[in-house]
Amino acid sequence: MLATLLSATVVGLDGRVIRVEVDVAGGLPGFTIVGLADAALQEARERVRGAIRNAGFVHPPRRITVNLAPAEQRKAGASLDLAIAMGILLGSEQVRAAPGRIALIGELSLGGEVRAVPGILPMAAALARRGLRRVVVPDVVREEAALADGIEAIGVATLRDAVEAVRRRSGRRTVTLPPRVDLGVEAVAPIAASAAVSGPVRRPRLPLEVADLAEVRGQLEARRGLEIALAGGHGLLLVGPPGSGKTLLARTIPGLLPPLGDVEALAATIVASVAGDAPRELVRQAPVRAPHHTLSYAAMVGGGPRMSPGEVTLADHGVLFLDELPEFSRDVLEALRQPLEEGRVSVARVGRATTFPARFQFVAAMNPCPCGLAGDESGRCRCGPGVPEKYTGRVSGPLRDRIDLWITMPNVAPAALMTGNEPENSALVAERIAFARDVQRARGSGRLNGRVSGRELRSICRLSTVASRRAIELADLEGLSGRGTERLLRVARTIADLDAAPAVLGGHLEEAARFRSPAARLGAREAS
Amino acid sequence: MLGVGASGPVGEAEAVTEPRAVTEPSPVAAPRPMTATPQRLTEREAWAVLVSVVGLGPVGFGALLRRFGTGLEVLDQAIRPGGVGALVAGGVNEGRETFGHPVGEAIATVARDPGPVLGRIESAGVAILTLDDAAYPNRLRTIEMPPHVLFVSGDVAALSAEHAIAVVGTRRPTGTGRLTAARIGAAIAKTGAAVVSGLAVGIDGAAQAAVTAEDGITVAVLGSGHGRLYPRAHANLARSIVAHGGAIVSELVPDATPTTSAFPRRNRIISGLSDATIVVEAPERSGALITAAWALEQGRECFMVPGPIGEPRSAGCLLWLRDYADQVRIVAGIPELIEDLGLLDVETPARLAGRPSLEAELIELGKTARSVAIELVRGHGTLDELVAATGHPVATTLGALTLLELRGLATSAYGRYRPAGRLANADPPRPSVA
Repeated sequence: MLATLLSATVVGLDGRVIRVEVDVAGGLPGFTIVGLADAALQEARERVRGAIRNAGFVHPPRRITVNLAPAEQRKAGASLDLAIAMGILLGSEQVRAAPGRIALIGELSLGGEVRAVPGILPMAAALARRGLRRVVVPDVVREEAALADGIEAIGVATLRDAVEAVRRRSGRRTVTLPPRVDLGVEAVAPIAASAAVSGPVRRPRLPLEVADLAEVRGQLEARRGLEIALAGGHGLLLVGPPGSGKTLLARTIPGLLPPLGDVEALAATIVASVAGDAPRELVRQAPVRAPHHTLSYAAMVGGGPRMSPGEVTLADHGVLFLDELPEFSRDVLEALRQPLEEGRVSVARVGRATTFPARFQFVAAMNPCPCGLAGDESGRCRCGPGVPEKYTGRVSGPLRDRIDLWITMPNVAPAALMTGNEPENSALVAERIAFARDVQRARGSGRLNGRVSGRELRSICRLSTVASRRAIELADLEGLSGRGTERLLRVARTIADLDAAPAVLGGHLEEAARFRSPAARLGAREAS
Repeated sequence: MLGVGASGPVGEAEAVTEPRAVTEPSPVAAPRPMTATPQRLTEREAWAVLVSVVGLGPVGFGALLRRFGTGLEVLDQAIRPGGVGALVAGGVNEGRETFGHPVGEAIATVARDPGPVLGRIESAGVAILTLDDAAYPNRLRTIEMPPHVLFVSGDVAALSAEHAIAVVGTRRPTGTGRLTAARIGAAIAKTGAAVVSGLAVGIDGAAQAAVTAEDGITVAVLGSGHGRLYPRAHANLARSIVAHGGAIVSELVPDATPTTSAFPRRNRIISGLSDATIVVEAPERSGALITAAWALEQGRECFMVPGPIGEPRSAGCLLWLRDYADQVRIVAGIPELIEDLGLLDVETPARLAGRPSLEAELIELGKTARSVAIELVRGHGTLDELVAATGHPVATTLGALTLLELRGLATSAYGRYRPAGRLANADPPRPSVA
């Protein structure tokens, strides 16, 4: 007998509805899956067989053919397990379903438990768009599925639960099954297990604790630069010797970013869902990603057999922080070009191409020279003349063009660590950043100054007479390129926004000039 | 082998220090288009061609001149059959060969076709100055082994300034050392005397940049050719030196690359061009101390700036003050130094008079910039220190630093700010002295 059900998979960040047709017919016993299924899906046969038997049903000794439609689309992952198993139970008439279309998403264990899969939210959303009213999902990610509008998510913990859900008449509204009684102490285990076993491994968020600005002693210039960069969404590079506090400063970023707006939050939630983070509510916290410099090209831009999103996408609407910038491989850094310019990244593989969003703010840190001690007053730096310049020169042109603020940090004198005024805490600074962002949102295209087009920048960046004179003086001093001047104006605009000033004044421009790149400053530095 | 050696008639130093007949009035005459025959070269060009040969040093060059009379004759000899052997024999000094057959072959090669060498000299735009020229600086002419040829860009007269003082030191100075070098350079420049140094990063560069900031004259002696200026980071400084009436000098042809052995040899020219040599900061093993040793050997005065004991970058200066107490003098302060150098009564040249005072310039920049400038001179280098010392908010302090930088009064590197230009030359308590 033929059974037809709906399920879904994820391609990139999009859910794709898959029709699962299961035919249980006479003939030599066998189990075939057709329809461009990948290795994980082919293995579904073994999982389904075990799950059906161990859940107390019979795996019929008949000829079972599973067809996955649309036929031309590649299917990956284990999200179809539950639908296939249910199809066999329906096809062998061990279960009778209530009338109506049935949609199920979930991976099965051999014991018949239903495990979470990444990307529940976009999958549920895709089914909702097809007009489905109910979807059966793994219990642990039920809340995530429920974030999709217009569809009721029924959480199930086992294949038996799923059978119950399918037997029930649709129309009954609140059909959330109680958790299995016998689970008891293991109640939390399925979450951890599912993350570790299935789907992309859950990558750590900022692999460091979030710090408060009150912990940062001194470094007033860098603190101010960070505040400006976050207020305007500007690319930021911190250059300083080890121990000067670059990483500590980066750790304060999550506490300084304002919560995401509705549209951004939905995008961030979908990304988190596909990444396997199993969000339970809309993700309001802007993501901060800090990948290690050993990461691969595919891990940065996305891809792999399942077209998983890369770091640039995981940092969408948030911050991508690259510590030890020159240590990243050239390929990986080059790959940042497209996302930095276009806010998205295209991943092409034979036969398929996906575009991921990648509207992140770029923050990086590096040492001033290979040994890290250049400029140290003790003179311990053993790098020859010209070596530090060469080292910072490794930051390639396209990347430089995206770095609006370039901050060099000295080592803090131990005395300064003990004394001095109590530093401001993150809450105060975050308030100013949120204020400046609101000012920018209310203007023109509503984009942050770091991302507005050059054209819009000119229209929103009205200069006072002093400011325009300074701009010309600075351009004369060091032969600032058009791009250099544009970066200067972007930063000056943000400083003016922090000041709630409608026009950019001389003082704003003078301050902005402190954060330009040393390459732009070479002309002014003849006596080194 | 013929002996011009031990029993030879003339000692090397004597032979070359004897002022020669001046053959050409202008040292700046550009080389004419070459047609590859040595006969068409001038004597000056012949010398320039000869010094382009790597391995032929001043001693060998002097021996060849004694043997063959003129540079043209040496080139003639080189392309004759068996000429290379004759050259090697002619290069014997005090019974020892000064160069071997490979160098002789190299001389023959450039003798056959001197065009490329002269072409590169011409395209580098440098003047050729030989020992025979009247414009060759007298102070240098009188040292042992003066370079036979100098390649000069900028004003040749700068080499023969009435007073010239060398200021040298380590390439990795302390912040204080850098400031001291700048103050000394500026103080000397204000007397109108020339400052001679090596254009290196660190002390040399700080001193020479300070001189240009005061519109003074400074001479940079390179350890490479003009076309391979080293360090590259000082290309702008070199341009500025020439623009202010100074000169860039090298004994090497313009396309000579910097080698480690070239720098100690170059140092004899730094001290040789100067009445006195001042070492600002030098660790125990330092090229600056080689310059100081040359100065003493050449019978010039030598001054050491003392530093704190235990500071490795002053250790060389302090050791010399202890070990050569009778020959080396101490820098007790800048006015004292100027007095000891005999520059006290030197009249300030007219071209330096009539500039607006530094104080006036600072007042024009506003209160914040002025107080930031004062703290910079006091040695506060990071923004944290400047904010703590002035009490101004971070934003305005940053803006003030930009204003100072625009006027060339401050620079920054690695997150530290330093006074620059005239501000670097100001005396610590108040920058109102200038």
